[in-house]
Amino acid sequence: MANVLEQLLNALALAGLLFLVSAGLSLVFGILRVVNFAHGVFYMLGAYLGFTTVALTGWFWPALVVVPPLVGVLGALLESTTLRFIYGRQPIYQLLLTFGLALILEESIRVLYGPTAKGVDPPPLLQGAFDLGGLLYPRYRLFLVVLGCTVGIAVWLFLRRTRAGLVIRAVAQNHEMADCLGADVARVRTLVFGAACALAGLGGVAAAPMTTAYLGMGIGVIVDAFVVVVVGGLGSIAGSMAGSLIVGAAQTWGAFYLPETAMVIMYAVMGVILVFRPWGLLGEEE
Amino acid sequence: MNRRRFLALSAASLATPAFVRRAWAQGPIRIGMPAALSGAYAQYGIQARRAADLFAKDIKAKGILGRPVEFIFEDTAGDPATAVRKAQKLVEKDGVKFLTGVALSSEALAVSAKCPEWKVIFMSTINGAGTLTTKSFHRYFFRVNTSGPMGARAISLYLAESPMKRFFALGSDYAWGRDSAASFTQQITVAKKDVVGTDYPPVGTKDFASYIAKIRQSRAEGVYLALPGQDATIYMKQAHQFGLSREVKPIMEILELENMKAVGDAMVGAIGSSRYPFTVDTPKNKDFVRRFHELHGVYPDMFDGETYEGLEWLAQVIAKAGTDDVEKVIDAWEDSGYEGLEGPFFMRKCDHQAVQPGFAVECVKDPKYPHPIPKILATYAGDKVTPKCRTEDFS
Repeated sequence: MANVLEQLLNALALAGLLFLVSAGLSLVFGILRVVNFAHGVFYMLGAYLGFTTVALTGWFWPALVVVPPLVGVLGALLESTTLRFIYGRQPIYQLLLTFGLALILEESIRVLYGPTAKGVDPPPLLQGAFDLGGLLYPRYRLFLVVLGCTVGIAVWLFLRRTRAGLVIRAVAQNHEMADCLGADVARVRTLVFGAACALAGLGGVAAAPMTTAYLGMGIGVIVDAFVVVVVGGLGSIAGSMAGSLIVGAAQTWGAFYLPETAMVIMYAVMGVILVFRPWGLLGEEE
Repeated sequence: MNRRRFLALSAASLATPAFVRRAWAQGPIRIGMPAALSGAYAQYGIQARRAADLFAKDIKAKGILGRPVEFIFEDTAGDPATAVRKAQKLVEKDGVKFLTGVALSSEALAVSAKCPEWKVIFMSTINGAGTLTTKSFHRYFFRVNTSGPMGARAISLYLAESPMKRFFALGSDYAWGRDSAASFTQQITVAKKDVVGTDYPPVGTKDFASYIAKIRQSRAEGVYLALPGQDATIYMKQAHQFGLSREVKPIMEILELENMKAVGDAMVGAIGSSRYPFTVDTPKNKDFVRRFHELHGVYPDMFDGETYEGLEWLAQVIAKAGTDDVEKVIDAWEDSGYEGLEGPFFMRKCDHQAVQPGFAVECVKDPKYPHPIPKILATYAGDKVTPKCRTEDFS
């Protein structure tokens, strides 16, 4: 029984992390119609800035608060200076641009921080393990479960229950109509891109104590995030949640019960879902 | 960088006596380094470059055969196809006769395969894959470093003496990880101990929770880890958070400084083999470590040491051959000896694998250093840890 509980928690913790990354990817696609290859690098940037904040202040908590806005501002700046000018073009231009940005950012981080991975310790409150009826489980992983859920609900409520969320959804549905009705589409796009990057940055800070901050972590996570978004439905926050749970479970349970086929399972699940719902579980049919 | 170095060399040549200038008129001896300087494996390429920087500084005054030495770096980003392309450029455009600094075994296999055609020497100082000196061996390939199977051998010899009886093997799902896990299993079984479980996580795994749960369930006393750099770092972090490292001793095929720096105290207590522990107590090594630290501000990791040894040995061999002619250098290198940083080296003619000491080390804390360091537990003579010629057989 403890065994099953442990596997359940492992899947939830990974899902929490995946959600923080994939939510932004999904938002950017839903509203900007851009597949953002640079998204993983903002996640990596979050982890490295998290390391710097912890090194400077000696505290983990400030990093969670300070880093996401920093990454968000950088993202918004990049959107308004580069991406903005090629929305009208074919998707291949956006792919090339975001891929180029990813390479530039990744190598800049390497030059600044050097090749050695940077370890970040969890805050004292989250070090060690909780005793869950005989099962000792790391506190930090439980924190990831809580963080993923909290952010997920907050983003969902924001999009569904606030006026700003309404405008964003309007732009997503039909940006020309939203423009005619007085929404500042360019500004919405910049803000959404920035917010998505901030979410990725938050994911990076949260991941650092579990995986350390290292070069290549962005590329590694973006593949999983794409699977999450495809499974859950592009542009849907609830879909990202569902997708994260499915991918998290497929990876952790696959590695535990069927190790030789762990990687295949994730893609097999994605394939099956695509056959029956090509627009993803909670995406909207176009 | 290259241009500046070239200009400095040109300026120096104007100020030197005529007889030296004649030797220099033959042009520099060029060593090509198609190394992974960016991307996920950059730490290995950067180690090769750090070693080359120190060696270039040491050799600057006298050169080799009175000729200056010039290093040309190319970035492969850790990709075998790029490595071949960059190596080809170095050979055909820059005219290098010696290639080294290749980081990954996959790159090395690809580049090495081309060397008989190019007629240039490939000197491995990093690449572990056993096949390089067995199935894929050819006359133009030399391995100065300890190979993967040799590392597995050193730690197996150490474990054979230890009270631990039950082991779990965790190897990355590619050639090196699978080879190492198999090699370890075979040798530990010979020592009448058990491998109670084996798993192959994919390269780039970021969550080891499932594997950690399985290792705990297996009730192993030690877990043998053949995970490349970053994967090992992540595993050690997470095993510590799950409290697994207190119950199951981590045993690493290569115990790197890079991991110790990134993981910190959570790494203390891990044991493993080291191809070059910078804590080796020889006068030559102490001098090297001091000068390396002066130049780079960090302590040398495994491939810093091994690459430096390779370059120094190569320079000695060229001097002995009296020429940089590739065929003559090969003849001079075969069956020759060299006093390395950690002890005596011998280049076997039969498979061009350098026979050298093997080490079992433990990660310990030492207040003199800013990070945990490898403490040497046991040293094994070269003939104990080097396999029979062109095999991976140690019996």
